[in-house]
This record gives sequence, structure tokens and C-alpha cells, in this order.
Amino acid sequence: MGMNLLAVAGLLLLLGAVASLVAPRNSTRMGFALASQVAATALVLSAALPVIAWGTAIEATYRWSYPIDALRTRLDPLGAFFLAWSLPMTLLGAVYAVGYLAPYLQKGRNAGAHFALLNMVSLSFIIVYTAENALIFLFGWEIAAVAAWLLVIWDYRNQKVRFAGFNYLVSTHVGMFVLVAAFMILHSQTASMDFSAFAPFLSRPGTLRNVVFVLLVTAFGFKSAFFPFHTWLPRAHAAAPAHVSALMSGVIHKAGLFALLRFTLMLGTPEPWMGWFLLAFSGLSTLLGVLYTATQRDLKRLLGYSSTENVGIAGLGFGVGYLGLAWHRPGLALVGFTGGALHVLNHAFFKCLLFYAAGAVYRATHTVDLERLGGLARKMPRTAVAFLVGAVAISALPPLNGFVSEFLIYSGLLSAEAPSGEERILLVAAAALLSFVGATSALSMVRAFGLAFLGTPRAPEVHPSGDAPPSMAWPMGLHLAGTVVLGLFPAAGLWLVSPVARLLVDAPAARGPEALLAPLRTGNALLLGAVALLLLATLGARRAARRHVTWGCGYSAPTPRMQYTGTSFSSQFVQVFEAFVLELRREKLPEGPFPEAESHVHTHHADAVERRMFESLGNGEDLVRGVAHRIPEEPRFAFAAGLISLVVILALLASHAGGAP
Amino acid sequence: MTLPWTLAHLVTLLASPILVVGVINRTKARWAGRKGPPLVQTFHDLVRLTRKRPVYSGTTTAVFWVAPYVMLATAAVAGLIVPMLGVGSPLSFRYDFVFFAYLWGLGRMALMLGALDTGSAFEGMGASREATFSALVEPAMFLSLGTLGSMAGASSFSQMLTFHGADPAVVVVRVGCTIAMTVLLQVESARMPVDDPTTHLELTMVHEVMILDHSGPDLAAMEYGAGLKLATGSALLASLINPFGAGSPRLLVAAAHLALMLLIAVLVGTTESTIARLRLSAVPRYLLAALFGAVLALLASIWRTGGAL
Repeated sequence: MGMNLLAVAGLLLLLGAVASLVAPRNSTRMGFALASQVAATALVLSAALPVIAWGTAIEATYRWSYPIDALRTRLDPLGAFFLAWSLPMTLLGAVYAVGYLAPYLQKGRNAGAHFALLNMVSLSFIIVYTAENALIFLFGWEIAAVAAWLLVIWDYRNQKVRFAGFNYLVSTHVGMFVLVAAFMILHSQTASMDFSAFAPFLSRPGTLRNVVFVLLVTAFGFKSAFFPFHTWLPRAHAAAPAHVSALMSGVIHKAGLFALLRFTLMLGTPEPWMGWFLLAFSGLSTLLGVLYTATQRDLKRLLGYSSTENVGIAGLGFGVGYLGLAWHRPGLALVGFTGGALHVLNHAFFKCLLFYAAGAVYRATHTVDLERLGGLARKMPRTAVAFLVGAVAISALPPLNGFVSEFLIYSGLLSAEAPSGEERILLVAAAALLSFVGATSALSMVRAFGLAFLGTPRAPEVHPSGDAPPSMAWPMGLHLAGTVVLGLFPAAGLWLVSPVARLLVDAPAARGPEALLAPLRTGNALLLGAVALLLLATLGARRAARRHVTWGCGYSAPTPRMQYTGTSFSSQFVQVFEAFVLELRREKLPEGPFPEAESHVHTHHADAVERRMFESLGNGEDLVRGVAHRIPEEPRFAFAAGLISLVVILALLASHAGGAP
Repeated sequence: MTLPWTLAHLVTLLASPILVVGVINRTKARWAGRKGPPLVQTFHDLVRLTRKRPVYSGTTTAVFWVAPYVMLATAAVAGLIVPMLGVGSPLSFRYDFVFFAYLWGLGRMALMLGALDTGSAFEGMGASREATFSALVEPAMFLSLGTLGSMAGASSFSQMLTFHGADPAVVVVRVGCTIAMTVLLQVESARMPVDDPTTHLELTMVHEVMILDHSGPDLAAMEYGAGLKLATGSALLASLINPFGAGSPRLLVAAAHLALMLLIAVLVGTTESTIARLRLSAVPRYLLAALFGAVLALLASIWRTGGAL
């Protein structure tokens, strides 16, 4: 029954997509797509919420043609959790798109394909989150990848946008190859493509299991833009329309983390090294992700890098969960997985909020360059509030939702449950890393909000055309409400997440996360009460306030150009982390005491690690090419190369014949 | 905590900002050969400020006048978590020090946004420095408190700070934590050698430059909030170096704690009278000292557990 609801939802989405492709006018196209999304969301929620509430999975098998034969689907609390927010958020993204794309549509662009693709994204969620078969899983995975690519290149006439899209397409498929390799190994060992057949193999310790684990983490790392597989991400997020960036960062790429959890279920009891591997991988992502957010000029690029940071934070939680499972400490595992999964949900709420606000800024000013913005809070108060709330939440500050999930992850990292002193110390070091990430994220967000929304407008040619229209303001408002509610009432988020954690951890009696979060309520209530009281008490004084100019040390003719810039704001921080953040400088300085020629300085911070990575890859390629060039010229080289490859092939054959009976 | 102790905690929390600042100023006056203002001068200053009309720059938005009160509220709530008398705190729960650190973080964010709201280059400069220094010192705080907590097998401030042991490793851990916390106190409450609270040369300041444009009750909230942070920071340090632990009579612990807080205030005043502020470019290197202290604590705790526990 429940599964049929999902199947109907999927069919409706497909029908909606077709209808929006063939319908005559833009309004009917968008109408069909939105109506089908609303219906599908309602159906999916009516199937998923009972699964979360009662914790019992539903399954169904459909007949299908060769090579799949039986199409097995299953919705357990893990899939239900992801479905329960992915579809509504995609719907909100589609609503936002109506307002965001309006200027293009007025010029006669056809909205059909774009909205059809948004439907396909929703459909891919239904497939991926319920698949019980690797081929079906890959099918849904590929739909999401291609749909996201086509959504990114909405502005395809711009060569940069096409390049960013192509970059994304290639990266996501490299990740897919790795995933296919993992599935091939699994198939070769189990002679099946069913997840239920994978599970017994994956739960037995062995070399191949380790190989598969590393391959899977790599593939899901590509999907969720973990470092060093994040290189497509800043480009794609800067190029895509705001709602597409929001959906990719907040919703679509969470599929990587979903898949990680899905395969964690099959792993049974992981080995400790898997937990450490995940912790190191995630720690690196979150550290480098946040370092790059501190220097970006482009607001959407900045938010893109912060995705890498936040999936890393969720990954830290999952790493703690793995260690808890490996050490047989259910309390630790429960806190880790709950914290990680809750952070996935929280990130979806505040990251979409931030991207929507950035989109509203772009809509109004046609730029997201921080160095050219300023003083937007007066012209766009709604957007400013939305961005500020998102910024506080993403910096993991109380009383909003980012703090709740990070608090759980901290409590996992700092808990004294590790078996030995060294392990405990490593976890404490990871907590220290997380605190650095939190403080740096606050720096980047203060910088972004302060430069764009506060102060005075920096560039005279930027004229904000007004605040976000209702179709963009409503999705922002709902995301804002979610961010606040999940922060003030963590029980709401825990209700969604704890069935997932219970699925992963067999801890019947543990009430860990609820008990940990309960005292925060008192703290938050005291904080909000104190702020409200203080503001009320000083109301009279503010009424009598005088208006004047900003103090400039007695200088009375300040210009907007004299404000602190984004580059100067982060320059001292960058000096400390020079090794990671490369400053590219183009300058023509004034000469002599009376300079006549125009002078300028232009700085840009590049992703140093990415650069070096590709440089060394390029060097390797040059080396190979150099050798390859010489082979035809030098017969001896060719002879030696041929001999070596022959020996290697023979050795492989011999070892195979000897090794396998 | 029982009701009398909670009341005593609240009284100490509300009074100590004024007294600690008073003692520091008195110490500095003595070093300079002056008599110095009365110990409660700050109180009079604050009262005077609350009676004044605020002046707002035409550039500012609501962020500017909300910020001081957010900062004051976070400092006050954070003060409920720290053992102000060295014997526990009214708001104590597991991992409360994480909440404490992030409350300070929220206050800092409010302060920086309020500064950027004025559109002044000076205040942007201050905000940038504050953000950088706090990001650099934050890991040291978590490293040292996390080590202390895992060593004490405790997860709340009041438990881990009152943890004492005869083991020399515990002493080393506490020394490391004290180093880290001293630097943290200097950064967070804008004291020498990281920042100079008295100068009025905007180019050199961190904290003071961010509140240049605040006036009237807003400025009072900022000043009192900063005082609260200074007082809670000294209370933290005092608990760390308090020789009387959880086993001793509570009144003795509290008396020693208050005496140590005064001693810390005198030391801060002495430092400010005898040492010059560091060059800004040298501050990040100085902040490494905090990390060094934290790593020292970390290594000592490995030594104690001997690898296996």
C-alpha cells in the first residue's frame, strides 16, 4: 500500500514533467510541474511519515524486464527520513524558481524543460531512497546527476556556465565509475545486484570488503563534494541559478551521505580503521572547506565551499558513529549517527535559506560580488533577515539549529568512551578542529553578511531593485521557520532522526541524544528572555535617540570606498594560512610623487590545494608523455617496455592460476 | 546548587565585573604612581551612560542597536555556566562548556556585525582582527578543556574544574590548561599583550574600536558585557589554579576562589603596566602559546593513561 503511493507519486512526477514539456504557455508549464510536485509530495509524506513514526519498513516487488526481473523496493526509516524533507524542499525550490526565473521568462525563455527537470530530481529521490537493487540505485543516481547538470546550465549561452556544467558532469561521472567499480566487485562476489545479497558479504571482514568500503566512500565523497573531490562544486554553484545551487547543496548531494548510511547498514559491525578513515576524510573536508569560505568574493562560491565544510561536519558525526559501532559502545554510536543525520537535515534548512537569500540579492542587484555590494539591509530587509538567520545557524551558534547537531557531534567527540588514551586524544583533537571550523565559519559569515547587507553601498552602479517577490520570499520564510524551530525545539528534529539512528545502532534503552539536548532548552530560554528584557528596558532611550554620522576620527567626508573590503577583512586570517590560500595579484601601482597614469590592484584568492593537485597531475602527465615520445625513437626503450609488460601479464596469469583452484 | 549558593553566585556574577575592572584600574594607577579612581568607578560610569541618549549613525540598521544586548545577554548566560565561586554553577549540564564557548561566539558575532553596520573602516578593521584571533584561539580552548574533561571523566565545567588528583600528570594538565586559558582570557576580554583596552588610537585597537560608535545605554551594555566576560574568564582561571578541590569545605574553596580572582585582576593590571602591546603581526604567534599549553596538557594526559586505560 505505502509503496504504491510512492509509485503513483513517481508516475505523477513523470506525467507532470511530460506535461510541462509539451504544454503551450509558460504559466501552464509551471502549473503542471508544480501541481504534480504538490501531489507527489503529499503522497510521499503520507507514505514516509508513518514509516518514521512506527519505525517499520514497507516493501514491494514489481515485475520488470531483463536484466532486473524483479524490481525490489523498500522504504525503511532511513529512506523515509531523507524523502520526508527532500521532496518538500524540492517543491519549495520549484516555487522559488517561478520568481527567480521570471525576468528570463518574460523575455520568452521556455520554462518547460527546467521545471520538468525539477520533477525528475524529485523522481530520482524516490528511486534512490527506496532502491533495493544496485542497478535501480545507479539508475536513480544517474537521473539526479544528469538532471542537476542540465539545471546548472540554465544560462547555457554563457561559456563559463557551460564550462562549469561540463566540469560537474565529468566529476560526477568519475565518482560514478568508482561506484560502478564497487558494485562490480560486490556482484563478482555475490552473483547478485540486490542489496540484500550484498549485506552478508559486506558484514564479513576481509580485504575485498575494505576495498569496497574505500571505493564507496570515494564515490559518495564525489557526490557530496568532500575534499579533494569538491573541485566542481564552487564553479557549479556560482554558475547555477540560485534555487538549483540551493537544491544541489542542500538536498541533491545529500544522496551521497544517504548512500553512506545505506551501506553502513550492510556493513554490520565496521572495523575501527573505517571510523578513523571517515573521521580523517571528513576532518580534512571541513577544514579546507571552511578555509576557502573565508576568502571568496563571490557569495555563491562562498556558500558552495561551505557545503564541503558542512558535509564534513556530518561526516565527523558518522565517523564517531562508526567508532562507536566498532568499539561496541552503542551510546557513542547513537550520539554520532544522530548528530550527523541531524546535521544533514539542519544543513538542508539553512543552506537553502542562504542560497535563496543570495539569489534574491542577485535578482535585485545582478551581482553577487561582495566587493561591490553593501547596505542591502535597508533596501531588502526580508532578505537580510533571512541571510542573517542562516548565517547564525551555519556558524553553529545557539539558539538556532546548527548548534543542536554540532553539540551532539561534540558530545560524541569529547565523550570519554574511547577504549584507550591515544584514541581519546585523537577524538579530542577532532573536537578542537571542529571548534576552529566553527569560529572560522563565523568569520566568513560575518564577512559575507557584513559586506553585503551592512554599511553603505560600495559600487554606485549597483542599484537594488527591491526586496524578493512573494514567490521567493515564501520559500525563504519556510526555511527560516524550519531553522528556528529545529533550533528551539530539538525534539522535532530528533523525532525524524532517531528512527534512523536506531536502525543503525542496536541500543534499545539509550535515551542519549534527548537527554543531552534537554538542558539546552533552559539555556536558550534564558538567552532569549534576557535579550528581550534588555531590549524592552532600553526602549525609551532608543525612542529619544539622535541621528548622526559614523565617527570617522573627525574626518567629515567619508566615501563608501573607504569602508573595509572583503579582501582586507580576511587578509590577516589569510596571512596565517598562506599555504592553503593562494593570493593571485594583478597590479599596476602608481609611480613617482605625482602619478598620472591610471593604477589598479586586483586580488583574487585561488584554491591552492586544488591548483597543486592538478599541477602535479599535469606534471605526471608530462612525464608520461615525455617517455612515450622517446619510445618510438629509441628501439631499446620499446623493446624493454614490451618485455616488461609481457612479464607482468605472464606473472599475473601465473599467480591467478596458482591462487584460485 | 542550593538556593543560597545560587544567590551568592548571581551576586558575584553581577558585582565582579565592576570589582575586577576596579582592581585592575587601581593596580595600574598604583604602578603609575597615582591614587586611582574608587573601586566601583565603573558602576558610576555605567549608571551615567544609561541615563544618556544614544546617538545612531545614519548608516546603521537594527543590527547596530540589537547587538549590544545580544552580547550582554550571552555574557550573562555564559556566566551562569562557569563556577563563579569555584563550587559549582546554577546552570550545569553535560558538555556545558561547548554551550559556553558558542554563547561567547554568538556575542562575538553580534559585536562584529554591530561594528560592520557602521560602515567605518576602523570598525571593520577591529572586527576582522577579532574574528581572526578568536578563530585561532578557539581550538586551544577545546583541546585543553576536552583533555581536562576526559582526564577527570567529567563533562561539565564545574565538575572538571574542581577535579584534583595527586598524580603529577594531573598537575601538568592543569598547568597546560592554565596557559591556554590565560591567553584565551587575554584575547576574549581584550587585554595586554593582545589588545590594549585604554588606547584611543583606532588603528591599533581590536575590541575598543568595535564599540567606537556605540553610545548611551548601548555602550553601557557593551562595557558591562565585556566586564562580565573578563570576570567569568578570571573565575575560570581561578578555578583552575585553586588548590582546594571538591573535597574541601565549600566556604574555604569559595574564599580561596575569590582571593585568586582578585590576584588575577592584580596580575592583569601589573601586566598592563609593565608590558607593551604586541605588534599585530606578532599576535598570531603569541596565540600559538595557547595551543602549546593545550598540547602540553594533551601529552601529559597520554602519559598518565599510559596508552591504555
